[in-house]
Amino acid sequence: MTDSEIIDLIIKGDRNLYRVLVERYQPMVFRTCMGFLHNKEDADDLTQDVFIQTYQTLTAFKGDASFSTWIYRIAVNASLNGVRKSSKNQFLQRLGNVFVSDKSREYSFPTSDLENPENILIHAERNEWVEKALNSLPEKQRIAIVLSKYDDLSQKEIAEIMETTEGAVEALIQRAKANLRDKLSSHYKKIKN
Amino acid sequence: MDCQLCQKEFDAYREGKLSGGARVQVEAHLESCLDCSVSFQLLMLANKVMEAEKETLSNPFLVTRIMSGIEEMDNKGETYSQLPAYLKVLKPILISVSLAAAIFIGVLVGNIYFQADSTRQIPVELSYMNDAALESVEIYSQL
Repeated sequence: MTDSEIIDLIIKGDRNLYRVLVERYQPMVFRTCMGFLHNKEDADDLTQDVFIQTYQTLTAFKGDASFSTWIYRIAVNASLNGVRKSSKNQFLQRLGNVFVSDKSREYSFPTSDLENPENILIHAERNEWVEKALNSLPEKQRIAIVLSKYDDLSQKEIAEIMETTEGAVEALIQRAKANLRDKLSSHYKKIKN
Repeated sequence: MDCQLCQKEFDAYREGKLSGGARVQVEAHLESCLDCSVSFQLLMLANKVMEAEKETLSNPFLVTRIMSGIEEMDNKGETYSQLPAYLKVLKPILISVSLAAAIFIGVLVGNIYFQADSTRQIPVELSYMNDAALESVEIYSQL
């Protein structure tokens, strides 16, 4: 069944069919949220919010764009709101981290590295560098690079989601990569000195 | 090959999409230029981190959680209950206007005052009264 057919049936009252849409799009929404939040638990919570919000606004889906484009837009907006909210609480989080170790990061480290605590710490620090560099990108560049790197979307698909041209998306991605490189390089030079 | 050109080809080089000649040029430049070599290593690191995050799996019960949340919402009658767009704009405007009105009224009330114009004179006898010389109440408690 196509997405539009499923949505029609859900609006008519077959709520359980929504599970089909959730199972179909949950991995991609989760990846998008991970790209912005870099935390598994937060991404899980936000994915849940995105799908509940999508369910609540199903009647607003007119079919002008594909359902995947529509849900990507909701996921991106929700992620940006989540990022803005979390940046307001950063001071409190930093204070909390003084007393409580952050165990919420789960990455798939190479097995050999798990045997070496020093490598784990080095990995964690490196991840933090990269996350900070990604978080400091301007909003549009960040959206473009997340959709490109985390969701493997083509420039055409990203342009449709961001409601812009493919040329603009290409420029955003190039600038994002250059910015990322510059930020990581300057951080590396600081540490080296 | 200069640094700018080399850095533009980083992604293609990393993904093995460069032609033989271009690949050799990039490799030669990376061997000779420390800055570009470091930039390339950092780019590899960033990609590694992003790949690791991309491979992170969500909670296996997430779909169940979502459907439970929706069922709960339906039972409370909150389905498709979305505030009309104009209300979403009206609410913050009303709050702002109320705050401004409250501040304005506060300033207005604070500015309503009556200048002291009392011309009553204090009786002369009172100016000679010495409170310290008055009998204290404790005298009477000892009686």
